[in-house]
Amino acid sequence: MNTLEPETIDEAEGMLRNLRERVMFVGGGTQLGLGPAPELLLSTRLLNRIVDYAPSDQVVTVEAGVTLGTLQQALQKQGQRLSLDPPLPERATLGGIIAANSFGPMRTRYGSVRDLIIGVSIVRADGTRAKGGGKVVKTVAGFDLPKLMCGSLGTLGLIAAATFRVHPLPESAATLVARGVPAAGVFSLVKAMRAAQLEPSAMAATRSSAGWEIAIRFEGFDAGVKQQREKLRKLGSFEDAPGPDDFWTAQEKLRLSSDVRVKLAALPSQLEQVAQALPDFRLCWYPTLGLGFAMHDGDLDLEPARRAVAALGGSFTVEAAPRGSAWGPPPESLRVHQQIKARFDPQGLLAPGRFIGGI
Amino acid sequence: MEGAAIHEEKPGATHATLQQPARPIPQEVIEKLVAVVGEKNCIREPEQMRTYESDGLASFRAAPGVVVLPASTDEVSQVVRIARQAGLPIVPRGAGTGLSGGALPVPGCVLVGLSRMKKILEVDLDNGFLRVQPGVINLDVSKHIGPQGYYYAPDPSSQSVCTIGGNVAENSGGAHCLKYGFTVNHVLGLTIVLGDGSVVKLGGPVLDQPGYDLTGVVVGSEGMLGIVTEVTLRALRKPEATRTFFATFPSTTEAGNAVSAIIASGIVPAAIEMMDKLAIVAAKAATGVDWPDVNAALLMDVDGPLAECEHTSAIASDLCSKAGAIEVRVPRDAYQRDLMWKGRKSAFAAVGRIARNYLVQDGVIPRSAIARVLEEIAGLSAKAGLRVANVFHAGDGNLHPLVLYDARVPGEEKKAEEFAGEILRICLRYGGSITGEHGVGADKAIYMGEMFTDADLETMGRLRCAFDPEARFNPGKVFPTPRLCGDKPGPYQAHATELSGEAVRV
Repeated sequence: MNTLEPETIDEAEGMLRNLRERVMFVGGGTQLGLGPAPELLLSTRLLNRIVDYAPSDQVVTVEAGVTLGTLQQALQKQGQRLSLDPPLPERATLGGIIAANSFGPMRTRYGSVRDLIIGVSIVRADGTRAKGGGKVVKTVAGFDLPKLMCGSLGTLGLIAAATFRVHPLPESAATLVARGVPAAGVFSLVKAMRAAQLEPSAMAATRSSAGWEIAIRFEGFDAGVKQQREKLRKLGSFEDAPGPDDFWTAQEKLRLSSDVRVKLAALPSQLEQVAQALPDFRLCWYPTLGLGFAMHDGDLDLEPARRAVAALGGSFTVEAAPRGSAWGPPPESLRVHQQIKARFDPQGLLAPGRFIGGI
Repeated sequence: MEGAAIHEEKPGATHATLQQPARPIPQEVIEKLVAVVGEKNCIREPEQMRTYESDGLASFRAAPGVVVLPASTDEVSQVVRIARQAGLPIVPRGAGTGLSGGALPVPGCVLVGLSRMKKILEVDLDNGFLRVQPGVINLDVSKHIGPQGYYYAPDPSSQSVCTIGGNVAENSGGAHCLKYGFTVNHVLGLTIVLGDGSVVKLGGPVLDQPGYDLTGVVVGSEGMLGIVTEVTLRALRKPEATRTFFATFPSTTEAGNAVSAIIASGIVPAAIEMMDKLAIVAAKAATGVDWPDVNAALLMDVDGPLAECEHTSAIASDLCSKAGAIEVRVPRDAYQRDLMWKGRKSAFAAVGRIARNYLVQDGVIPRSAIARVLEEIAGLSAKAGLRVANVFHAGDGNLHPLVLYDARVPGEEKKAEEFAGEILRICLRYGGSITGEHGVGADKAIYMGEMFTDADLETMGRLRCAFDPEARFNPGKVFPTPRLCGDKPGPYQAHATELSGEAVRV
């Protein structure tokens, strides 16, 4: 397999303009998942510049190949961060995070990449460079190309550069953990926290052989963190996490822990049913979001589990497996999806067959 | 009425020069529309249609061919099919409070008013959402779920009259979007009627529906991709506490420095609003708030857990004093707080008390450039001999300069428009945007080419063509050069008809 490695966005434009073969864009390669592999790869590895960073405006523009880890280091020097925490920050690139809509527990408070991206530069399949959004935190001029790119898995164009809103690093943080919680208790806790007006910056629940474990992180100024910590202790048997990152590192490891990895989505209130539908899986669940991941060792037929989650009105997307299909049934807007693909990539050169509905 | 000539430039499409038809809508089409929506919801008397000739941007007017007020998704779908069959453009409309001419009729169009679709269809606070029809008033959403301790976050100043459907079209913001985001961050799903009348659901209360983020694409598309007939909204739990203060300053420079210091301290205010002298005078005249006559003021909210709020409001207040605040006022109670916000939110309308006419501008700059940009605007104001009142969302650099003029003075309106346009050019020069929340609409299409390249606009046009290949919805808005979609493979047989949306200035 040939790999193109443009050093500049101009060079990437030239490569795509002359493109005759089918191509897949690759960042850190953490989310390549399932689907046919085309003849050619285009790696963003060398598109690795932080283009513009204005700490006082809390806005940063990066090329697609910058890793999340590298970006966070640069932001940290100014007391800021990008409020995204998908797995493998040292490998995951910003372009890849946008394309795969990757996220971690911080989505609880800050939303996903669609909520933090404010501008994007893409290179279309015909080599045309185009941008959407802007470099200020607020703009509604023109159609929202940045959001179109989120989760598009490289099927519409090369994400060449993007601009994000960043946030101040919190003064203080505290993680509390509860163990041995029944599945029903996870959503009850979400409701109780909401009733108590607690505002966690991250919340995750994991199911391993030892049962459910829940972790909640509060962030902000010291006074607020302390108050919320005390309030939470009244809602359940919570203990301070032994190390601030212990649980969060463990949930990331759990997400990457096997060859079969599935992204799950359902209503937050449906956790119990989701858990019942996937009895043999390890689970990592973000209880306020209704999103999670299911992991399983070895090869198995995923269709029964897929059908069970679909019956709940949820979705079941395979991120990694030895065989099978990534996608469930296409959404009813498939025709619009196909039309968008046809307008952006009329020759079908960009990652064909890797997206939903055969796109 | 004559429309502009359209020259097709995109390769692969038919070269065409089209004229806007001036003919009235045929009687048989009217009869079909009446059969769908009923006699009284199909308005075609010129007198009755006058209300619909413009939106909040009243200097642009055009007569629709007919106004229909459907009551359901199915009725909208049938109306779209009838309009399509008759080859008529469609312009959707909410409450008509938009400030960019987004709901301005295309001459002779079928104007679809969604004001009758105002049902709240589903409330599921456990899962944090509700599903509403597009004609529901923004504030009524929060009122509906308020008793249970929930609210809907986006709060445009017009929230007591504007509709959710209009908010979706414009991706409306508001004072509190600094912390909470815009409409797009609070819309989970949509039902949309496409150009062929088909009804499609996008997204929904379950997050991350597999596929492209079409909900995110439709929000803010200014009614050009279809007609939204249902919206799933996020319902947020009210924060434990809100702390508000009002600080006065000797000039906008000190006020701007205070904003920078607050942001640099790591506080994310729920809202931080700035007003200059003229805006303060106007707000006082209109609402009776007892604000002093100062050159600049900040109105700030922090919200969240009580202890956090107490802490951050104390820090912010202190930073204001350090930046040279004359006075920092804290409201005694909820009534006083509401009054402070009323003063701010009525500022646009209030300017009507101190000037015969005014233009509302909406531009964005990097927050750190506020002081420099205000100086440039003041310079232009002096040069043009026109007063400017500045009201803006200082936290995110979203300016709303109000250019005051007197339309009776020959040439002054034109001068005011040129001035307002120059302000956008300043925003662009500082790396900003031509609109932060009002939208491009009919008003700012001419500036799009200054913010975006032809390739950018052509790419956005492809998105439009994917949804609406016949350019049936709101043609002529947003894009400076209307283009045809051209024939592409797929279920659509796109035929080369595009009606221009040239409006008539009055």
